[in-house]
Amino acid sequence: MRVIKYTGLYVILATGALISVLPFVTAIFVSLKPARGLFSTPMWYPPLNPTLENFRSLFDGTSFALYFLVTIIVVVMVTTGQVVFSMLSAYAFARLRFWGRNTLFWAFIATLMVPNIVTLIPLFLVMKDLGFINSVWGLAGPYIFGTPFGIFLARQFFLGIPHELLEAGRVDGSSEWGIFWRIVVPISRPLVGTLLIITSVQSWNNFLWPLIIGGTPRSTVLTVGIGDLSTAVVPAYGPMMAAAVVVLAPILAIFILFQRQIVSSISLSGIK
Amino acid sequence: MAHSQTRVATDAGGAREQPAGLARVRLRRWAQRATPYVFIGPSFFGVLAFSIIPILMAGFISFTSWNLLSSPHFNGTANYAALLHDNRSLMDFARSGEFVLLTVPLQTALALLLALLMHGKFPGRTFFRAVFVLPWLATPVVVAVIWRFLIDPTTGPFAQFLSFFGIHTGYWLQSTTLALPAIALMTAWQFAGYNSLFFLAGLQSIPEYLHEAATLDGASTWRRFWHITLPLLGPTTLFVVVTNVIGGFQAFDMVYVLTQGGPNMATEVINYRIYELGFQQFDAGYASAVAMVLFLIILVFTVIQLRFANKRVTYDMS
Repeated sequence: MRVIKYTGLYVILATGALISVLPFVTAIFVSLKPARGLFSTPMWYPPLNPTLENFRSLFDGTSFALYFLVTIIVVVMVTTGQVVFSMLSAYAFARLRFWGRNTLFWAFIATLMVPNIVTLIPLFLVMKDLGFINSVWGLAGPYIFGTPFGIFLARQFFLGIPHELLEAGRVDGSSEWGIFWRIVVPISRPLVGTLLIITSVQSWNNFLWPLIIGGTPRSTVLTVGIGDLSTAVVPAYGPMMAAAVVVLAPILAIFILFQRQIVSSISLSGIK
Repeated sequence: MAHSQTRVATDAGGAREQPAGLARVRLRRWAQRATPYVFIGPSFFGVLAFSIIPILMAGFISFTSWNLLSSPHFNGTANYAALLHDNRSLMDFARSGEFVLLTVPLQTALALLLALLMHGKFPGRTFFRAVFVLPWLATPVVVAVIWRFLIDPTTGPFAQFLSFFGIHTGYWLQSTTLALPAIALMTAWQFAGYNSLFFLAGLQSIPEYLHEAATLDGASTWRRFWHITLPLLGPTTLFVVVTNVIGGFQAFDMVYVLTQGGPNMATEVINYRIYELGFQQFDAGYASAVAMVLFLIILVFTVIQLRFANKRVTYDMS
């Protein structure tokens, strides 16, 4: 009975896992197949003589390498800014007392309710006035100063730091800055990890804002670049899957390295 | 904070210092008061400049007629009045509702099923939990590109596989009846595993003794599920449903890549329509008005969530 139960469980879960993963596996397979003879075997067959031909044509024939660079720059800018600024303000919201603290915090959180599309036109206008259209500053600008979600997550973490730890710093005569950098930051490694993963993945995956604010090759990120590639009338599936694999590679790497943190950070974000 | 204030007090009172020292104490006290504002400064600027001010601006723009080139001119509620007669946009709202109805029940049910299967200890649990999250983590635009290839009716693996069984698929994305369900199916594929993590957390919070007591009373697995598990998962289900409804109303990436709203507006959801109005037709005033209406719809669901989220489902044990 037990055996039947477990076999059934594994069969269903394995089927589900296969459905989750198969599209990605197929994309990787097709990206490694030569253009000639692509249709001689079914698409889901592993490549018999794998080749990097598709990747080469992608990087030689298009601006994909440039898009890659632009994306990296934007992701690094956004991630650094968000992690630092979210943690700073979350610490103040969690552990310092000041006039207007709760009102401000809830005002921050309330902005989470507003759909992205509402602010796009005004944001575009603001960026136009600042001269940031078609630049990495425009791409990164709105996200660099921390997001309410990141602040919320960091605040939850800081609320859990034992009171005595911070008090010890105060007795030693440290300023709040000193306490933050020497006591809080060193014990916040799990938080920093979570924020780094969430922010960099979100920023890497972002599409609508870069679509609006960018346009020139020097302000085109990968998601926009691949979107354009795929709306071509006759899609060349080999190079397109190569492009898909290039965009997904960092995500897959992060996934394989940090799956535990990702899973636990999602569970954490549900407790609101 | 109470302790920092006491420290300031002892500094000032305990030290019998010269006037110069007193000034220093005042300065330190002032600096201490300012510190929290320095901490929140950058993100306050960010939220103000990139969220709060743009929201207010959007509200203002929605009462104007503006092509983004000349200066805007105020036209009262004309945009909102126009929306009442704009069948295309109204249909797009309805289509978004249809999209939500296609995706949310499906992905919630799948998520619950996955969570029930993964609840409990068995080897490989962590592995499965992670694998089901992958579609959510993957770049949505890329996911769309891959699915477009997978379901290509001439060369795609789906069609090739089905043709073994003599089944021939049409081009779902070019069919007015099948395009929206196809995108809904891909969306459900993307989010089911992610949502199952919330149900897993919910399942873990159900006390074991409830199930044990029910088992002792002779309740079957099925009855335990209906009368214990499901009611106690109420708050989790509410959270999952509401966040997915809100997300569903904002679907964009897949539509943009796969169909651009077509064929014949069959996949033109409201978020895509606002994008078109604002950034292709440069009708900023009207686009903002439609966006504000969408905001209102989402607000309703958020309020439902906030209103009921704290009402925990409890069983009277007395």
